[in-house]
Amino acid sequence: MKMISNCLRQRSLLTTQILSRFNSTAIEPATTPVTEDQVAKTKPLDHPDYFRVHNLFTVKDLFDARVHYGHKEGSLNDFMRPYLYGSRLGHLIFDLDITAEHLRKALNFTAHVAYRGGIICFFNRNALNAHLVEKTALESGEYAHTRFWRGGIFTNANHQFGAVTRLPDLCIFLNTQNNILNQHTAVRDSAKMLIPTIGIVDTNCNPNLITYPVPGNDDTPSAIELYCNLFKAAILRGKEERMKFLQDNN
Amino acid sequence: MYYNNFKMSLTIIRQLVPPAKSFCVNNIKLRQPIVCNLYNYSTKSPVAAGSDNVLNNLTDWETLSRKKKVSKAMKAYLERAQAHDEFMKTQQFEYAIGKRHLANMMGEDPETFTQKDVDRAIEYLFPSGIYDPAARPLMKPPEEIFPARKAAEFDEAGRPHHYLFYTGKPNFFKVMYDAAENIQQAYVFEDKVIRKKATPDPNSSLNLSSSVWVTKDQLEQILVESITDLEYDNFKLVMERLASLPYAYRFKEFIEKFRKPLGSQRFALEIPKPSYDDDGRAFVTTYECLRKKARGDVTIRSPGTGKITINGKDLTYFDDVQSREQVLFPLIFTGMQNKVDVECNIEGGGPSGQSGAIRWGIAWSLRSFVDAEMLKQMQVAGLLTRDHRRRERKKPGQPGARKKPTWKKR
Repeated sequence: MKMISNCLRQRSLLTTQILSRFNSTAIEPATTPVTEDQVAKTKPLDHPDYFRVHNLFTVKDLFDARVHYGHKEGSLNDFMRPYLYGSRLGHLIFDLDITAEHLRKALNFTAHVAYRGGIICFFNRNALNAHLVEKTALESGEYAHTRFWRGGIFTNANHQFGAVTRLPDLCIFLNTQNNILNQHTAVRDSAKMLIPTIGIVDTNCNPNLITYPVPGNDDTPSAIELYCNLFKAAILRGKEERMKFLQDNN
Repeated sequence: MYYNNFKMSLTIIRQLVPPAKSFCVNNIKLRQPIVCNLYNYSTKSPVAAGSDNVLNNLTDWETLSRKKKVSKAMKAYLERAQAHDEFMKTQQFEYAIGKRHLANMMGEDPETFTQKDVDRAIEYLFPSGIYDPAARPLMKPPEEIFPARKAAEFDEAGRPHHYLFYTGKPNFFKVMYDAAENIQQAYVFEDKVIRKKATPDPNSSLNLSSSVWVTKDQLEQILVESITDLEYDNFKLVMERLASLPYAYRFKEFIEKFRKPLGSQRFALEIPKPSYDDDGRAFVTTYECLRKKARGDVTIRSPGTGKITINGKDLTYFDDVQSREQVLFPLIFTGMQNKVDVECNIEGGGPSGQSGAIRWGIAWSLRSFVDAEMLKQMQVAGLLTRDHRRRERKKPGQPGARKKPTWKKR
């Protein structure tokens, strides 16, 4: 543990985050909490976890929120195979260590985007959870789109909105599918417009075009609630830091 | 601090290629001095320690407002908004002046000249035979004529104000979100009440009988957005659901926003008050009692004995039973046959037409002496409906109005 925390302080060891998988039954957060003065010294982008979002959840939280449940074996998308732990009684189970890994990266990225004043747009096409997602967006001061996606919103924005529009700087998909058969058009459109995306990918989803895929359950309300809370917390932390910084420098 | 960076950057400008146009088609890059652009693009440029560079790297609206830089989009919007505001101001000024001129023309007081007076004056001065009211000359305040526009939907940094901006119809979907939120809150409240074993207050419940949901066009006007039929149907479904909940009265304001009151009830304003004659008896006269070719008037005097006078004669004015029954029917139906006196003058037509006209006249006058419940029953019985049927003309080639010569198959 001491060795790893020493290693983490060096810049070049961003790639050794994977080592945190050594204990697959870990219920502790993988990174050690960093002290205040260390945070202040490094620049935000150099630090592996400037906003300490890794402390926001544990693997046990993911398990309790039923994030590890996938769909049935028959609907498995081949690209999702590396994220699976196995299957039980025909139902696929995600490997929560991998999920935790991806989720940490995603939250870190979200916090950084919020720190820089970026526009974040939440997407969800599941009628069961859409209201909660809109509420999360409202409370975190960001944007949401849980309705029918009109063709040219990203690719033909100036024409659609009448004026020169600024597009989102980050798209968070809490559900990458439009319906059972189709992927949400915004995934492809974000890739076209070079907008980074974070997506909760279930076993029947295609993670290819998503910048920061987070393999996990995208249907259960408790899982979506957990994701919403986490993203909201990350965004609010980023914004808090930003306000603090601007006040210091004004 | 800013000046130091500027000096440093001059050396870098000589080395590096000047940056490309800072405006890409769909993503607006906010206009900044070249210094900041350089720091954004190249991560390997010599970085000075401290927070200076971090500040230059941040492209946020606070620093923008300090440097007073406005994005192209914002500039374009501001120009358009200014032009529109000036236009509306001139229109409003012209309208106000025109209204006063119109009042002077009509010889009325300019201070108390209402919109209704304006409409009347225009109709008088510019009589038009055009069928469609919207095509006739009109003079209305400019806000009604020129359609409402949306204000700037984004701030200086390009961030939209409304959190549902990217859906394209933020106001509409905000309404849907609010309705869903209210439904959920209503359920939560209901659970609380049940847990406390209380019952809903019977007095405070929503009365929606005298109003209807706004139409699609009206909703489009309220929201300043266009809506598809499907979306409008969904909207109605959601609002119906909300209104049907037991605790919907807690969201009365929200629901009332989208309800239009029906036209005022037919009789509420129209029932005349009885006048009083020399003996102090209340009476009501109905003129223009018509049926077929008969024309007449009917007077009902209230504290009476059931006397009926037709053209100075008794009920025996009519020879046949049916006509007499027609005259008596409204009195018997309301139970006033011994309580009022009837006086009528009738001319034209035959027995059927005259008796029908008198019957309607009696029923119409009895409205003033009868309560609301009986009034409704009279309406249901058809006593208060004017019978507009007239004799249909005979057509050429036929023996009668409808009768045709024998139909032969071949």
